[in-house]
Amino acid sequence: MERKNIKKATFLVFAAMVVLSFSSCSKEESATVTETKEVSTTTTTVSEVKTDKDRILEAAAAGKIGNWGLGNEYEILALLAKYDQPLEFLSQDFTMDGFDDDSIELASAMTYNELGLVKNDYDGAYGYGDSVGYIDMNDEGVAMLEDNLFTTKEFAMANPNTVKAFIYASLKGWADACADPSAAAEVVYKYGSSVSSEHQLYMASEVKKLVETDTLGNPVSNYGYMDDAAIQQTLDLAKTYIQLDDSKAAEKLASLTIDDIRDTSYWVAATESVDGSDLGTPEKTDVKIQLKWLPQSQFMGYYMALDKGYYDEVGLNVTIVPGGGDIAETTAVYNGTVDFGVTWVSNMISANAAGMGLLEVAQIYQRSGLLLVYKK
Amino acid sequence: MKTTKKINLDGISAIMYPLAFGIIVFLMWQGGVLNTLLHTDTNTLPPPSRINSIIFDNTAKILLNLKATIIVALIGLLLGSLIGYGTAIIAAQNKKWGSGGITLASAFNAVPIVALAPVMNNLTKHFSSNVDYRSMLAKTIVVMIVCIASMAVNAYRGLTELKPFAKDLMKTYAASNFTIFKKLLLPNSVPYVFTALRVSLPASIISALVTEYFSEKVIGVGRQIRENIVTAQFATAWAYIIVSCFLGIVLYVILLLVENSVMKNRKIK
Repeated sequence: MERKNIKKATFLVFAAMVVLSFSSCSKEESATVTETKEVSTTTTTVSEVKTDKDRILEAAAAGKIGNWGLGNEYEILALLAKYDQPLEFLSQDFTMDGFDDDSIELASAMTYNELGLVKNDYDGAYGYGDSVGYIDMNDEGVAMLEDNLFTTKEFAMANPNTVKAFIYASLKGWADACADPSAAAEVVYKYGSSVSSEHQLYMASEVKKLVETDTLGNPVSNYGYMDDAAIQQTLDLAKTYIQLDDSKAAEKLASLTIDDIRDTSYWVAATESVDGSDLGTPEKTDVKIQLKWLPQSQFMGYYMALDKGYYDEVGLNVTIVPGGGDIAETTAVYNGTVDFGVTWVSNMISANAAGMGLLEVAQIYQRSGLLLVYKK
Repeated sequence: MKTTKKINLDGISAIMYPLAFGIIVFLMWQGGVLNTLLHTDTNTLPPPSRINSIIFDNTAKILLNLKATIIVALIGLLLGSLIGYGTAIIAAQNKKWGSGGITLASAFNAVPIVALAPVMNNLTKHFSSNVDYRSMLAKTIVVMIVCIASMAVNAYRGLTELKPFAKDLMKTYAASNFTIFKKLLLPNSVPYVFTALRVSLPASIISALVTEYFSEKVIGVGRQIRENIVTAQFATAWAYIIVSCFLGIVLYVILLLVENSVMKNRKIK
């Protein structure tokens, strides 16, 4: 008796599940068929050697362009707009698994991080070597400036000497790091090992390129220089591709000029200083800097300055606060949790549109590090 | 007469006091008193009027995101509850290991959504080449898993805590197992099913909001909250938070209304 009952009950449950899965599968199949048709029509028109444009059109048609979103997507949107494609992308997680398993054809990658993970063959990397290629945002003319050094307008007004001293010591750290990236990588590894030492070394050598080359490929020797043309391009692209639902913030965004987002005077004073002692007594000596991501060579200049005692020399006691995940460096600086921050200029622009008075005081990365990688 | 009047008065005041408190908090919020008390500015905690205007300026976009969240939450809730009920039926037939099994099944409740969501994303990646479908499936599975346990535990009680000798009586009538289930077990479990739904409905909405954080497709009320907070758009994030609160409240009220009408009909019968 009891057995029969179980059978009936389980049968009912299973029947319900089977019906449900079948109904969803049949829908699935029809969707897949139309999708492959679309792809095949585009591939037939493509000539034997694929250009970057072909790759972008193909991946966009298949809906296989990946980006992390969360304010990292504006250069990709600008690129899609350049080729008249719909402004849509797949949400990519913080691994390159989607690229590896082909669910993403054109995956976002930073030159200094994900590209290394894809190409290199050390522990934790995928080892694709030269079988991958990439599309560079600088070459495509859609580069937006990334890692900068910022604080609030309020803090800069109240503590000008602290800001100047902080820039002075940090740039000294960046100069040292770029002079010897492998030493910098070791220092970073000592302070926090979110990735392997080989990867830190790779990252340091790539970051050096971003710090010492501008968007057009010209060398830059004055670290932290704020190039008006590059900042203007970043602001123009930001105004086009940052979509804000808040009409008040959208209005503010449209009205922003580069003078609302950067002030060169602190950087000029810091670079004109002979040995840092002529910058005046810092108003605030205990300061914190919020990084945009986990401790890694991306921020090697600050770790170098800390390790070599450059901050101590100018009378500052500096704490480096690592970021990661959903920590918004703009908010952390805005609400006073930390005094300085490292962020992408586009993120600072959207924060200022929302009413945060943030101010860039140095531009560490002179060109965009964002790429779209593909398998050749 | 007197007593009914008194009850009504009590009923009114029972609603009036919390309502008055709510209105006071609302006025303090709009007037900026709340910002002073909490030491936050109007960027971090914008006044309700601004949040409201964002909601009304973006109704089409909000509805699109809301629809995605509702579909995931309700389908997940339905599937999870069906599986939970099925588990309870199986467990109730085998009391020897049934209750132990149900206790173990309730361990599902302890699985963190944050851990489950990325795993499901990877598992469902090759299900379809259409990202809309596969990300929807991944999210639905997470909600489903979250909803199984409460239904299994409650339905098990509904199927086993019967009136003394009720089952024996059915057996003396030579009722088949299916008849026993239909006439005795199923009706007996209905109140327990609603108890389970009252727990798992809010849980389904919360887990739908959280899984959206990790899904491949950028859509849903929860995802909009995350995107806007990370890009420092707190006013817009608040708009989506308010929308998700309303979603939770409206669905819960609907559930209570359904429960009320079902239970009333049962009493009349």
